[in-house]
Amino acid sequence: MTREEVYGKLNEVFQDVFDDEDIEVNDGTTSADVDGWDSLEHINLIVAVERTFGIKFTMGETTGLKNVGEMVDKIIAHLG
Amino acid sequence: MSLVSAAFLGFILLAALVYYVIPGKARQVWLLILSIAFCCAGGFYTLVFVLISAVTTFTGGALSAKKTKPAIRNVFCAVTVIFNLALLVMVKFYGVMDLIADKLNYFFASGAQTSTFMLYAVPVGMSFYTLQMIGYVLDCRWERIAPEKNFLKYLLFATYFPYLTSGPMNTYAALSAELDKSKEVRFSITRLKEGSIRIAWGFLKKLVIAERAATLVNASYGDHKTYTGIYVLLGVISFAVQLYADFSGCMDVVLGTSHLLGIDLPENFNSPYLALSIREYWQRWHITLGSWLRDYLFYPILKTPLFIKIGDISRKAFGKKKGKKVPVYLAMLVLWFAVGYWHGGLWKYIIGSGLLHCFYIVSGMMAEPLFAKIRPVIRADKAYFKVFQIVRTFFLVLLGFVFFRSANLPDAIDMFRALVRSGGIAFDIEGIMGMGISLPDLYVLVLGVILLAAVDIFKYREKETDEPRSILELINKGGILAGWAVFVLLVLLVLVFGKYGLGYDSGAFIYARI
Repeated sequence: MTREEVYGKLNEVFQDVFDDEDIEVNDGTTSADVDGWDSLEHINLIVAVERTFGIKFTMGETTGLKNVGEMVDKIIAHLG
Repeated sequence: MSLVSAAFLGFILLAALVYYVIPGKARQVWLLILSIAFCCAGGFYTLVFVLISAVTTFTGGALSAKKTKPAIRNVFCAVTVIFNLALLVMVKFYGVMDLIADKLNYFFASGAQTSTFMLYAVPVGMSFYTLQMIGYVLDCRWERIAPEKNFLKYLLFATYFPYLTSGPMNTYAALSAELDKSKEVRFSITRLKEGSIRIAWGFLKKLVIAERAATLVNASYGDHKTYTGIYVLLGVISFAVQLYADFSGCMDVVLGTSHLLGIDLPENFNSPYLALSIREYWQRWHITLGSWLRDYLFYPILKTPLFIKIGDISRKAFGKKKGKKVPVYLAMLVLWFAVGYWHGGLWKYIIGSGLLHCFYIVSGMMAEPLFAKIRPVIRADKAYFKVFQIVRTFFLVLLGFVFFRSANLPDAIDMFRALVRSGGIAFDIEGIMGMGISLPDLYVLVLGVILLAAVDIFKYREKETDEPRSILELINKGGILAGWAVFVLLVLLVLVFGKYGLGYDSGAFIYARI
């Protein structure tokens, strides 16, 4: 799966979890940029991403991601 | 050794002097010697506790990270975590310690009455410590870090003396990186000045403010018949002042000491009494505990197959928006019960520092759709509403503190009753002085609280995740002399107004008992 394809699916996940069809994420997007992405919603997002891509993040990855770019890197690594 | 004592100041002085004289490579060894000496000063049992904890977590971390089957690594990880939690529970709960002490006294035929020698020999502040050590093992298991191979380096992480009694809690990755800085760090007047100011400010908070507030607290919490009505309110607010000045003052001494050595530890407070909500309050109060609980308890619970399944079922039952919150509420219940229990295993803590806050946060989340409708009507974006939110949050925190400070649950309930009970003495200046505080002391306390509030208001930033304004930067703008003038002023204030000296036993830090 290419990075663009990952982003295509990932945008849908973000739009669904945060109930906002206008969300478009990129490498630099952080929790501060997305309305509602707080510590309580974070796990919902992680589980939704895992299900969409059929992968399983480690706990280290779950809490250690700095931005969406890193999340995409990890998704690609898990898929690879 | 108390962190607010002449002995500790002497200890810091010796530590820093030798630290900057010896070569960089030898500094970690020096810090380890100091830390072991500090443990020894805490008593033989403190040293034993720390060593057992360090050896088991070091070994457990290495075995949990080895490239074996995940199931085996889970077993090593679980055994280490359970062993260390059991060790903590054993030393924390005096009932068990009394039992052991009685046996030991009997065994040694010391003639000591019951258990006093063990009671005071048990390590203080070990709740922070155990959680931090468990964090290391989990980090290894979850492959956040590679396990440390050098036991002496790990032992330094485990015993680093500034934070040993009261935190702040550190992750291995962060603290080991800071400890590595010790090899390169060079003596600097600016660092000396900043560290000294911070330590003096901590002493002032503890000896000038907290110790005076304690007088009002002890009187009002100690006699619910004499002190009713507004006196109860005075006592409860005084406890909020005492606890904050005490705990954050302790952190100032810890962080200031470590800063002197060029090793920066994480902040534990960020203007907590200016929080707009209880959730925000917990991101500003005891920050490192909150981060630990989120990363090592809350997230892992929510990621268990059971909680994911609960989420799926509740989404089907209650719809997507409401349903996804159900596992969060349940995980909150577990989390806050653990927070309360961690504070001391008594119901007053489980309610006051745990379940009550869980109720605040969960009910707030449940009522959020209603609040969202009300906010535009009452113009919640205006300043008046923010002031209301700050006052309301502080009031809710105070309710929890009543449980926290009271002797037990019935005592806390009686304290609430005393608020509306008649028959107490009239509220006037003489009545307040009758609580055991002189008029000059009362003035000093009020001025101290104003100073404390002014500093917090200056540091405050609306977003709790933003770096607070630095008061040291402001002082530095005034030039080198301004910094030292502030330091001398703080020292003078402590010397003149501090509650210390021969025959005066400054109370132990409240959180060192946790």
